Amino acid sequence: MNAIETTDLTKYYGDLCAVDHLTLSVNNEIFALLGPNGSGKTTTVLMLTTLLNPTEGSAKVCGHDVTREGEEVRKKLSYVPQDMAVDIKLTGRENVRFFADLYGVSHASDCVDEVLEVMELTDRADDLIKTYSGGMRRRLELAQALVHEPSVLFLDEPTIGLDVAARKKIWEHIRGLRKKGMTIFVTTHYMDEADQFCDRVGIISKGKINALGSPAELKARLMKDVITVRVDGTCTPPSVEGVIFVGRNGNEVSFTAENGSEALPVLADSLARSGVTIRAMSLREPTLDDVFLQAVGPQEEPHGFEDGKFRVMLRRRK
Amino acid sequence: MKGIVTYMKRDFIKWTRSKVAVISALVMPAAWLIFVGLALPVKFTGNYLDFITPGILVMTMLSAGLSGGTLLMFDKILGFLNKFLALPTPRSSILIGKILFITGRGLIQTTIILVIALLIGATLLSPVQYGLTYLVLLLFGILISAFATTIALYLDDHDSYSAFNTMISMPLFFTSSALMPYSVMPTWLATIAHLNPLSYAIDAVRDVTAGGFPTMPILVLLLLSIVVLTICMQVFRKVTV
Repeated sequence: MNAIETTDLTKYYGDLCAVDHLTLSVNNEIFALLGPNGSGKTTTVLMLTTLLNPTEGSAKVCGHDVTREGEEVRKKLSYVPQDMAVDIKLTGRENVRFFADLYGVSHASDCVDEVLEVMELTDRADDLIKTYSGGMRRRLELAQALVHEPSVLFLDEPTIGLDVAARKKIWEHIRGLRKKGMTIFVTTHYMDEADQFCDRVGIISKGKINALGSPAELKARLMKDVITVRVDGTCTPPSVEGVIFVGRNGNEVSFTAENGSEALPVLADSLARSGVTIRAMSLREPTLDDVFLQAVGPQEEPHGFEDGKFRVMLRRRK
Repeated sequence: MKGIVTYMKRDFIKWTRSKVAVISALVMPAAWLIFVGLALPVKFTGNYLDFITPGILVMTMLSAGLSGGTLLMFDKILGFLNKFLALPTPRSSILIGKILFITGRGLIQTTIILVIALLIGATLLSPVQYGLTYLVLLLFGILISAFATTIALYLDDHDSYSAFNTMISMPLFFTSSALMPYSVMPTWLATIAHLNPLSYAIDAVRDVTAGGFPTMPILVLLLLSIVVLTICMQVFRKVTV
């Protein structure tokens, strides 16, 4: 049984199709949904967390249907929305205790101490949230979400507005959770983070998944690595498996390969054996940005739907 | 059940930690009591303060209840509601927790108004009479806070909510029996006043202070509260964002 299963999941806001027949399965991994603004990321998360009813299709979380068995689904998941919502007039410990009580956690005070420890907030646990930094508030939200040990964790833009160090820390915590067997579903704008920390990504545009796979797979599938060699004199392109000769421009010879960093030494050996003097070699790997742009294509802002809903959506993503 | 208490506790802690909110909620009813109750020259009663005190008590509960709707509005705007709705705790606990907090806070405020009224010359009642007064205020508080919280769930932003609040609180108060008895009202006003739910609560409290037992108004309030509460709970169970 997969942690998250969707079948033709669809959501219309008036005439606008926010999510279009999305079929997806996610299990014990860090799955990132990437996409431009208005592509349907948040809507997907809202449907999976039972906050929004799908127009068509179905979704299951831990085997429970999100529309018919809402309460069962909510027992399995934790959801951290995009806007940081922690009570600034309460202390860190009170904030986490509040969620522990709502989840009905047994031995609540031990559990609260434990998650605060994991999120490195023990020192500041009894200070009011007013005095916390953005990164600490986000970690506190994670602590709230983790206090009942969910099977699936939904994070909507977990690192938005945080500095580099705080982001790295959040991702380290998320990786730790995955190791414990949790399924983590994140949405993000940051390609570098998705590339570095996620097991699988889905690139969504206009409600449809255009590319799905591990970051490495996607990069290899959509665009090959480019190897450029600067040589002296003549050069007969050698035949190396998986490396394709592209062309020569002055003393620069270009090749492409499925996996550039592996192909590069092989190509270098082969060239050296055929007596070519190599002055320099360079390898440019395609980044997830390239994949994203290719999958998403030129973007238009969504239009032509109810003004009221649009304002609600704008407010949600600020 | 545990969820209800937890939600209520959160609001109480937040309220007690903001001193301005505690004081400001008392200023308006106290001003009415002192400046209108003591100063207005009326001929239909010897002790106008005793006449107007029930009206002010119910008004305090009304404004406590209506302003309580902003609590849910802020939970919604700031993103707390989304988190709460994704919790396994029954969603109706969010509503009941708010009702209990808003009504509880209203009862604390009415108690203070009652003490001020006594200090400036209102007649002291028996414990049974106070008990009945609190029962009426409690029922009225549940009715108003359930209504206000559910309206807040549907309105888009805080501006719309405060517009709604202004729009209904003043007309409700002036078309009730708070300021004068039905006998001195113009006929058209008396007709409206008889239909106003606020009047039921005020008449009930007035009946109690006169030594009676207001069976009918209490039953009407009870019935109204049950109907409104049932509808609101259904709305909260099914809510999506």
